[in-house]
Amino acid sequence: MKPPILTIIMSTVISGTIMVLISSHWLTIWIGFEMNMLAIIPILMKKFNPRAMEASTKYFLTQATASMLLMLGITINLLLTGQWAVLNMPDPIASNMMTVALAMKLGLSPFHFWVPEVTQGIPLSSGMILLTWQKIAPLSILYQISPSTNPNLLMAMATMSVLMGGWGGLNQTQLRKILAYSSIAHMGWMIAVTTYNPTLMLLNLVIYIMMTLGAFMLFMLNSSTTTLSLSHMWNKFPLITSLILTIMLSLGGLPPLSGFIPKWMIIHELTKNNMIIMATFMAITALLNLYFYMRLTYATTLTLFPSMNIMKMKWQFENTKNMTLLPLLIVISTMLLPLSPMMLTLL
Amino acid sequence: MSMVYINIFLAFTLSFMGLLIYRSHLMSSLLCLEGMMLSLFVMMTVTILTNHLTLASMTPIILLVFAACEAALGLSLLVMISNTYGTDHVQNLNLLQC
Repeated sequence: MKPPILTIIMSTVISGTIMVLISSHWLTIWIGFEMNMLAIIPILMKKFNPRAMEASTKYFLTQATASMLLMLGITINLLLTGQWAVLNMPDPIASNMMTVALAMKLGLSPFHFWVPEVTQGIPLSSGMILLTWQKIAPLSILYQISPSTNPNLLMAMATMSVLMGGWGGLNQTQLRKILAYSSIAHMGWMIAVTTYNPTLMLLNLVIYIMMTLGAFMLFMLNSSTTTLSLSHMWNKFPLITSLILTIMLSLGGLPPLSGFIPKWMIIHELTKNNMIIMATFMAITALLNLYFYMRLTYATTLTLFPSMNIMKMKWQFENTKNMTLLPLLIVISTMLLPLSPMMLTLL
Repeated sequence: MSMVYINIFLAFTLSFMGLLIYRSHLMSSLLCLEGMMLSLFVMMTVTILTNHLTLASMTPIILLVFAACEAALGLSLLVMISNTYGTDHVQNLNLLQC
């Protein structure tokens, strides 16, 4: 895509999300969501092939439906309370409608079916933007209306999301689908704690974004989209192959890496609110996620798969990709655990 | 809630069901998306006019503007699908499953 067009489109995406973040009027929030959706479709179709077209169509249909449901919630809120401010407590009907609309935008169960398919059809850089930047706007609205949401609905969606995220990713070898199911499971963790402590949802979002950006950048360095091509990485980038191990363990939520911080805090908050069964259940389903991350690292870092001799010549080529923030993201994704008290006070 | 609002809410629900349950054409989903937008437009206009929220009078028109942009985008995706497959049957969109 030509640079001026890419600049305009990216600035529309960014300004759409920022409009959602800074508005206090429901109409401008809806306008922000629309701008975001309209501008991200060309980014999803950077490479023009039938898979990208199909992915863009599925993304468009789900997001347009969610926008209409959100507008219905806004209109019912206007009808029953007569005003447009966000910080007021909407009616339960309007609140449930908005929650369902935001769940469709985020890819929570039972509205998660579009996430793996759309992530699979688009290039790795577009998938990176889809799974990280597009989560910020709906979660900010959920943060703002969290006092008036229905806790039962959110808990049900969180339970289904961690289950679907864990089980769905077990049979995948395509890296984009693995990251899509990882996104569904992490969204489930974020939603579970929203009714009790929305700050922890923001903490989980920030750490999840750092880890997913790091993982996508590592895959983009090698231009690999399957586990098989990732398993040839030991020859080209021996050091970065070991970083795949740390990022995957961090995504799985193992201490002492920083992926453990949100899980620890969320389980702590759930037990404080007497939801011990939910906390145990979520911790156990996180093991499903850890299994497919570990399978990925087993193929990449811990073993050398048998390969043809021609695959072993890649070390002779220099790296040409410019991954600017990759070291910073790796450090943030793995070494932030000692700073967790500071992060809780900052957010 | 008076009968008018229930009626318009029913129109929205019918369009929503039409979006979710369609036989084979993508065009019918796009039409139902427009139907949802239309029922929201009418509901919002009736609410604003009945309760005399005069300052919000331009809100339905803004809603119309953005829904029209969305419809244009949906139609362009439909045209691209039609270029590739010849029809807009949704069964053609099966490249990315599992």
